[in-house]
Amino acid sequence: MSDLSVSMSASGGLPQAPVLPEAPAKVTVRNLNFHYGEHHALKNINLTLGANRVTAFIGPSGCGKSTLLRIFNRMYDLYPGQRATGQLMLDQTNILDPKLDLNLLRARVGMVFQKPTPFPMTIYENIAFGIRLYEKISKSEMDGRVEKALRGGALWNEVKDKLNASGLSLSGGQQQRLCIARTVAVRPEVILFDEPCSALDPISTAKVEELIQELSEDYTIAIVTHNMQQAARVSDKTAFMYLGELIEFDDTSKIFTSPTDRRTQDYITGRFG
Amino acid sequence: MAVESNIIEAAGPYDRAKALSAFKLGDVTFYWITRLSAISVLLILGGIIVSLIVGAYPAMKEFGFAFLWTQRWAPSADPPVLGALGPMYGTLVTSFIAMLIAIPVGLGIAIFLTELCPQWLRRPIGMAIELLAGIPSIIYGMWGFFVLGPFLANTFQPFMIKTFDGVPVLGAIFAGPPSYLSLFNAALILSIMVLPFITSISVDVFKTVPPVLKEAAYGVGCTTWEVVRSVVIPYTRVGIIGGVMLALGRALGETMAVTFIIGNSFRISSSIFAPGTTISAAIASEFAESDGLHQSGLILLGLLLFVLTFFVLAAARLMLMRLDQKAGK
Repeated sequence: MSDLSVSMSASGGLPQAPVLPEAPAKVTVRNLNFHYGEHHALKNINLTLGANRVTAFIGPSGCGKSTLLRIFNRMYDLYPGQRATGQLMLDQTNILDPKLDLNLLRARVGMVFQKPTPFPMTIYENIAFGIRLYEKISKSEMDGRVEKALRGGALWNEVKDKLNASGLSLSGGQQQRLCIARTVAVRPEVILFDEPCSALDPISTAKVEELIQELSEDYTIAIVTHNMQQAARVSDKTAFMYLGELIEFDDTSKIFTSPTDRRTQDYITGRFG
Repeated sequence: MAVESNIIEAAGPYDRAKALSAFKLGDVTFYWITRLSAISVLLILGGIIVSLIVGAYPAMKEFGFAFLWTQRWAPSADPPVLGALGPMYGTLVTSFIAMLIAIPVGLGIAIFLTELCPQWLRRPIGMAIELLAGIPSIIYGMWGFFVLGPFLANTFQPFMIKTFDGVPVLGAIFAGPPSYLSLFNAALILSIMVLPFITSISVDVFKTVPPVLKEAAYGVGCTTWEVVRSVVIPYTRVGIIGGVMLALGRALGETMAVTFIIGNSFRISSSIFAPGTTISAAIASEFAESDGLHQSGLILLGLLLFVLTFFVLAAARLMLMRLDQKAGK
């Protein structure tokens, strides 16, 4: 795992990474279909997210990659008229089970959004808030957990002297890392990144990408991105989606060097999208 | 390219200067119209304050600061004795109880409407709330007098009086006998009247919470209640307090409905089931047949209400500033 991250972050362009052995499946998607009212947004999706692997989803806008991500934690449930059919398993749990406890699911499957979304409270509380939802722990234990999470989000050194400042006072890149730390603090199994760097400057982007690499040692990661270099840099597997269909799903190195499908090739070479 | 710009420039100078001067005249007119509108607000406000002070001056000279802590209100005594303590107490107590009821209920309705309510039920409830705001206050007064008052006096009041009989403090607050006309009835009517303010403003500000922020909170595993309590309400705090202050302003000054059902008694009683009066109710019920010092005393009451409302608004501002500092902004 570690030699992989070194070889990937060292190369700025396409990865020369060795192909990893198949990881055990963490999330399994079988014949998944999704509808926004009448609109058939996802058509017969089949794929698996390997445990402790980074899976990238690429494709032109509107291809359904964010939609797919939002099914993994049932975020679509907040809105009426959206429904998913098929099979979606997180280990042995059926994610699409209508009786599933959504709060527990979302504790297991964390999410980082396109725009930084710090809660309107202090930096400390932003982290402690999520922990408190599930655990009753003492103040000193909480301090430790908050520090650990902020270190996990590569933010500790920047904020350790102002934990009581508002989360909104941080810069955009710091806010996004705060959101990652907040997600990590709950100890999820899977972390979903929905275009996490699209609102960030290049330096913050590099920090977040590095962080994603580190996090993959402990978590299963799915990332939606419009930036193909980013997909190439951070992911082990890449899924190319187009018009609601999964066109190609393979090792990242294969997708970016010798894609099987014509449309994948056209997209990654910039001919459309 | 070059040819085109030459043509434009050749035709340009004369027309442009003329056009600009026309704009200038419009600008000056516009500036003065808006400025006069803004100044007129200050003039009207100043005029009201001055005329209140002028009208209240005889009473101020006669009673001085004792007006504030005298409970007796005897305009026909010789010499007349006038004190504002009763109406001030009634105004504050009815408004306080009204807000105590209206804030949780109003926020509850707003939360239900924005976070939990099925789509088809939203419009009917939203419209009902708006209609509630449109009912004239005299209708509330009549309803309070003929329906709510008797109902409370026959059911709710005896129950509370019996329940808290002998309990310290609470026993004095809920003391008998039951009455059609009481501070509590007035407060209840007030709470219904200010409910639409709190609800509609809260609904509006709840809608300003970015969906992605709520999703983020759901994303760490919050329940709807936790999202509302920890994200929606803190995010919209300023707006909610604004709505509450607007409602409080209305409750402090509401006249007609309160005059109908409060009983117009200047005596202060510890019980909220006893009749009382408010500043505006006292003015409304006595102004027509008052003259001389009595009338001046009523105008002084009006001035007090003005000052009271001003302080409430100032306190709200101060509270908001404190909250912002605490949140680290």
